[in-house]
Formats: sequence, structure tokens, C-alpha cells
Amino acid sequence: MRRVQARQSLAVYALMALVMVFFLGPILWFILLAFRHPSEAYTLPPQLFFEPYLGNFGDTFVDPGNNAPQLLSSVIVSSGATLLSLPFALAAAYALSRFAMRGKEFIMNWYISLLIAPPIVFVIPYFILMSRIGWAGSYRAMIVTLQTLAIPFSVWLLKSFMDEVPLDLEEAAWVDGANRLAAFFRIIIPLALPGIIVTSMFTFVFSWNNVIFPLALSKQSTTTLPVGTISFFASTGVYWGHIAATAVVAMLPPMIIFLLLGRYVVRGLTFGAVKG
Amino acid sequence: MGDPRVAPTTTHSGVWLPDRHAFNRRLPYLLLAPSVIVLLALILYPLAFALRNSFWFWNLQMGPAPLYYSGLDNYRMVFQVTPFAVALKNTLLLAFLGTFAQFWFGMGVALLLHTHLRGLGLMRALLIMPTTLAPVVAGFLFRYLLEPKGGLLPWALEGIGFPVPPQGFLGNANTALLSIGLVDTWQWTPFFAIVLYAGLLSISEEVKEAAQVDGASPWRMFWSITLPLLRPIAAFLVMIRFMQLFNSFDLVFVLTSGGPGTASRTLSFNLYREGLVNYNIGLTAAMTWLVVIIVSVIINLYLVFVYRKREW
Repeated sequence: MRRVQARQSLAVYALMALVMVFFLGPILWFILLAFRHPSEAYTLPPQLFFEPYLGNFGDTFVDPGNNAPQLLSSVIVSSGATLLSLPFALAAAYALSRFAMRGKEFIMNWYISLLIAPPIVFVIPYFILMSRIGWAGSYRAMIVTLQTLAIPFSVWLLKSFMDEVPLDLEEAAWVDGANRLAAFFRIIIPLALPGIIVTSMFTFVFSWNNVIFPLALSKQSTTTLPVGTISFFASTGVYWGHIAATAVVAMLPPMIIFLLLGRYVVRGLTFGAVKG
Repeated sequence: MGDPRVAPTTTHSGVWLPDRHAFNRRLPYLLLAPSVIVLLALILYPLAFALRNSFWFWNLQMGPAPLYYSGLDNYRMVFQVTPFAVALKNTLLLAFLGTFAQFWFGMGVALLLHTHLRGLGLMRALLIMPTTLAPVVAGFLFRYLLEPKGGLLPWALEGIGFPVPPQGFLGNANTALLSIGLVDTWQWTPFFAIVLYAGLLSISEEVKEAAQVDGASPWRMFWSITLPLLRPIAAFLVMIRFMQLFNSFDLVFVLTSGGPGTASRTLSFNLYREGLVNYNIGLTAAMTWLVVIIVSVIINLYLVFVYRKREW
């Protein structure tokens, strides 16, 4: 009996090892590419051990460093979109979490329908609208239009966190004479704070990884890092070293944030629908 | 639920204030209003813009405003000038096969994780990494791996005698769309795996034990107990992923640009090409409305057949 179990767990480990190589291998291979000298990008058979070369990062972020401003743009656009969505989403999530009202389900479904609608449908009209109102290529244009994704997502996730704040605590505050607004700031906000932080982190990552809005609405000086990586294909030949260096920098913040989020990953990726 | 969740409407002295009562009843709608108004403005503008311009001839390269009224010409041109039918077929193929593959592959990994062997917790935390990447970055990873000359995968596959098309997998009309689907599957299988794993954890041990006592085989238990209990989660995941795949743009853009020819063109990429490359705003507007109608039909069919009644 014990032998069978040992053999079974060995099989599970072997399969999981294959799974991990399959899912993490391509990422590691690309990170290695960022540290290879451009002349070694295509060396076959593949070399796992080599003299690390930092020139790719130097070229892209230091001198001439064309991608450094894109990193700043990414931070501005993602933080801006996250901060702008919060007041709207907090109010809506509180209403949906704490009140019985007609059409609640319809409104929840309406928010999610925006999340799964094809963004390209909205982007082209925005492209023309923004040049008409003089916002073409501005950070504002990207931050505002990203709200079509940021607000519905944050409403769903924040509602799931607010649902977990016990109603009794709020009622106790009302009895003590606090009005709804005061109770909201004194009870809900502090107790839902972890949820608010988690929601902000997810909104930041989704905005960071978004390409379709900046691709259509940015100009060269405001474009974000993921869009910046694409531009290397426009010039003659493909500079894999430069692409890899910028892409590695672009992939780091989402990876780190997801590792920090730990047990909230399931909940965030399902907009709060699965608690995890 | 069930409790009215309305604030007390009397003051400290116990005086009834009808105004405040009315305010409290309106409060949830007042709180919802800002987000709903912002979102409505952000959605209705593009849709109205597209509806109007879909009946006008307008190429942005010829002028900053619509040139002349053209009736239904744009809607006809969508099928004559752009490969709309091909794009629709590619999009549906990608969405159906991609969702199917990711769900079952993810389920397999979730069942492996559910054995709770030592060390699997760390693996689960790292497993999600592909899903955290921007789709364009995932596209670059695989463009590099799949390069026809010098890429690791063609080299390895040729080494074991697997036929590799001379233009590479992304440059071959038969494998381009399949490759996009595989890259998406690589990126999103971990998502299915960890969410389905969370679902597996929520199934109570008692139910499983009862079935075991009744002598159910593991196979039977999976189909008769585990899967039906996972249904609400699965239905939600499948809908989200199906639509995200239906909207595929980033991966297509980086991996194949819809090529070779129109072999891997999706609806989103078709819209991008006509709108932001050819600047055919009128034509794009007509296509936008066709896509909006298709998406509404899909979502409503799904809600009717899968959710029947409400489940989330």
C-alpha cells in the first residue's frame, strides 16, 4: 500500500515538474535573452551558462535610454487610472454591498458586460474624440478611457470585500449617533482597507498591462513601456536584446505585485466572484 | 440579505424625519450615479459616434469630417473590402478551442495541485506567472522561441524529427492561428488551474466521503460530484475567458499581425486595421456595430443556456 502511494506521489511530482518547465521555461528563457550579448541571441544548441551582458539594459534605459521615459509614463498612466477609479468604485461598491434595491443584479451584470466587451470597439471613436477636444496623446486621454475597465472591475472586487465587513459594527456606529457618511469613513474604509489596497494593486496591474488604449491614444513622448517594446519591430531588423530588456522591466512590476498578493490572486482574477 | 439595510431614520430625540427617510432610500442610487454616469458617457459616445458614421463615407486621410452620406454602403463594404467572414470564423475558432483547451488543461493541473503533496504550495504561487504578463510580452516570448531560424522550439522539434514549416509556425497559414491559440493557452491555463483548485478546496469532505462509502470510483466521483459542484465557478470562468479570447488583439498584433495573408486575422485586428491603419472611419463604424451585435448575441445566448436563472 505504501509503495503504491510513494509511486503515485512520484508520478505527481514528475507531472508537476513538466508543468512548471512548460509554464516558467519560456519566461526564464526570455530573461536570459535580456542578459545575452546581441551576437549570441540565436546561439544553438542553447547555452544556459554565459557571461552576463548588461548592455541591453544600458542601451534602453540609460544611454541613449529611449525607454526610460516610457517607464515613467507607465507609472503615471497606471497610477492615475487606479486613483481616479477609486472614489467612483468605492461609492458604487458600498451601495451594492449595503442596500437592498431594485435592479441590483442588473447593475452588477452591466458592469461585468463592460469588462468583457471588446475594447477596440471603443478605442477608435476615442481616438477621434481626443483629437477634437485637444487631449490627443495626453496622459488624461489614457487615464480617463481606462476607466471603462478600471471602474467595473474595482466595483466588483470592492463589493466582495465590503460584503465581509460585519453590518453590526456599522449599526453600532449609527446607534452612537454617527450618520451614514461618518460610519462609512470610520467603519467601512478602515475595515475594508486591505481589500481596497488589493483592488488598487490589481487595477494597477491591469492598467499597466493594457496596450490597446496607449497604442491608439498616446504620442511618442507619453507612450507606455509595453507599447514601447513593440516599436523595436518597426526599425530594420529585430533587436531581440533590446526587446527583451524592456519587456523584462515591463514584466517585473506585475510579477512582484502578484507574488505580494498571495492568497488574493484567485479573488482578484475572478473580480471577487471566487473567494479563494 | 432580506434585511432592509436602511439607516435609522429618527433623530436622538426620536423625532421622525420623513425627509431623511426619503434621502436614505435614494442614497444607494446617488452613490451609484457617478460611476454609472461616467461609464455611460464613455460607452454611449463611441456607440453613437459609430452608429452615425456607419452611414457616412469618411476616410480620415481625406478629411477631418465625414465626406458624404452613403446609406448602407459601409455595411456592404465590410464584407466586400475586408475579410470579415474569415475574421469571424478565426475569432470563433480561437475562442472555442482556446477556452476548451485552457479549461481542461487547467483542470488537470488543479487536480495535481489538489493532491496536497509537500512543495506544491510554492509551485502554485509561481505557476500564475504567465497570467501576470502583458499579452504583448507573452507574444514576444513566443515570437523569440518560434523564430524560424535560431528559435529554440523549431530547433528542438527538428531535432526529434517533427516537421517544421520553412516559414516557421507563425508564418505558415495552417499553423499561425493555432500558434496564437497555444500561446494564449500557455498564458491562461494557470489562471484556470488556480481558480479551479480554489473551487476543489471548497467542496466539502463529507460529500466526497459519502460517495466513497457508496463505492464510487474516482472517475465516477469526478463526473458526478466534483464537476457538478464546480459548475458555478466553471460557468463564470468560461464566460470571461471566452469573451477575452473573442476580443484577442494584443497577441495577434505581436505574433502574426493577422497573417500570413488573413490566416490569423481576428475581428478585433480587422477593426484595428481598418480604423487605425487605413483610417476608414465610416467602414470601421459599420463593422463596430456588427461586432457589437454579435457580442450581444453571444453573451445573451450564454446567459440563457448556462445560467438559465441567476447564479452569481
